[in-house]
Amino acid sequence: MALFMLLLHGDNSGFAKLSPEEMQKATEKYMAWTKKPFTRDSHRLAGEPGRVIRMEAGKPSIKDGPYSETKEVLGGYYTIEAANYDEAVKLALENPQLEYGGSIEVRQVYGT
Amino acid sequence: MSPEPSAGVLLDHLFRHQAGRMVAHFTRLLGPARMDLAEEVVQEAMLRALQTWPYTGVPENAPAWLFRVAHNAAIDALRRSHLAQEKTESLVAELSSSLTPQEDPDLEEQLRDDELRMIVMCCHPEIPRDAAVALSLKTVGGFGVREIARAFLADDAAIAQRLVRAKRQIRDRRLTLEMPRGAELEHRLDSVMEVIYFMFNEGYAAHEGEELIRADLCLEALRLGQLIAASSIAVPKVHALVALMAFHAARLRARTDESGDLVLLDSQDRSRWDSRLIAIGFHHFDRSISGDTVTSYHAEAAIAATHARAPHPDATDWPMILEFYDHLLAMNPSGVVALNRAVALGKVHGADQALAAVDTLAKDPKLRDYYLLLAVRGHILLELARPGEAANCFRAALEKRCSAPERRFLERKLTECRERAA
Repeated sequence: MALFMLLLHGDNSGFAKLSPEEMQKATEKYMAWTKKPFTRDSHRLAGEPGRVIRMEAGKPSIKDGPYSETKEVLGGYYTIEAANYDEAVKLALENPQLEYGGSIEVRQVYGT
Repeated sequence: MSPEPSAGVLLDHLFRHQAGRMVAHFTRLLGPARMDLAEEVVQEAMLRALQTWPYTGVPENAPAWLFRVAHNAAIDALRRSHLAQEKTESLVAELSSSLTPQEDPDLEEQLRDDELRMIVMCCHPEIPRDAAVALSLKTVGGFGVREIARAFLADDAAIAQRLVRAKRQIRDRRLTLEMPRGAELEHRLDSVMEVIYFMFNEGYAAHEGEELIRADLCLEALRLGQLIAASSIAVPKVHALVALMAFHAARLRARTDESGDLVLLDSQDRSRWDSRLIAIGFHHFDRSISGDTVTSYHAEAAIAATHARAPHPDATDWPMILEFYDHLLAMNPSGVVALNRAVALGKVHGADQALAAVDTLAKDPKLRDYYLLLAVRGHILLELARPGEAANCFRAALEKRCSAPERRFLERKLTECRERAA
């Protein structure tokens, strides 16, 4: 088994029009994902602003960010087990992120 | 490692129920003119829950968590707003003095009061009834626009418009959450009851549409009725309304079979009636009898109670029901009531009399083409062993607007006519 990261990108606009009942349904769907047998780990990242550090003229510059140009930001990630990319993608297709207008980046993680 | 997400599943409708009371609560604190802001901060709290609970687990006191987040969001929003500094600070102070549910046992009481005032305001006579129903569902009920639209078979935009207009009325007329008094309260209570009963009937009527959301509508109407019945503004007729809704709601799941087809009262499996709701019905029915005003709610509750008392259809006290229908008709001379009375008349005095009564009603141009009248007439004719004429009625009924389950029901009847004629 290999490990894959599912990086969840989105801008929350998919949730804006949901009713409380639908919000609950969405919460339950994401909750279910943290308990899937293939899910190793799951985390949510706090909202913006985080900090972006880069070197500028030889000195570290620390700024609030990332305030990405594209509206979608990295909101959280799962580490899942799958045999290969094909299976990882197949599992990711079931993730609620897609239903609510976000996108998922699937990347293999080295290590076990 | 992230903490183990709590094994606890969310209570059914937790978000919807909390949203309703939170919107009522924050509308009181922020003022009815800022109802939109109240809705926004509630939405924000739900969004925060959605983003964190899957990873941190559901907090032990989920409602208190939601309240606290909405509360902080309200303070942030006020600070960002363009309100005058003083106004902002006084609202923030007001918000800060309100406690979260876990800290104050009296808050439960306060929240019920907030909901009550909210529904009373939403049913202000200046707000058209359609809009009052939509607004009540949205604010106190915690329903979304799309869900309300689905329940009313309207489109989202139409419902959204209705809500905008109702909120404008609230702002323009400076409606407050103050409880009206005396004659005004009496008048308002009538309008609240009308809105609730309308909500219930919309859910109960077997139109097309998604069954689940419609049952939700019935249960929300029942909940609002119970909220009022338990409050200081309750009068006997409120109990009559609650009894009536509880008796009908008790039969909801027996009204359709596994394939979603309509099952009439006589053929329902009475063991599927919800005994808890029937008990609630009788509890309120007993309380509705005190006092000396008899309303149409009383008569309807009495009819429903008589059905609820019968362990099987043959045990139904039809003479009693007919008497109640006579009272009801005197108070509410509507065609639908008259049609129902004709059915009761048939049970007591025979199908001939029922047919004569229905034929009299059919002279009313408003009723002549009503599919239910045609269906009832067909039913009576079938009972009188006149399958040919009965078939004509069912065929005519099929040409009228009715739901898919009703259509299937009529088609089954048509088949029965053919078999009987052969």
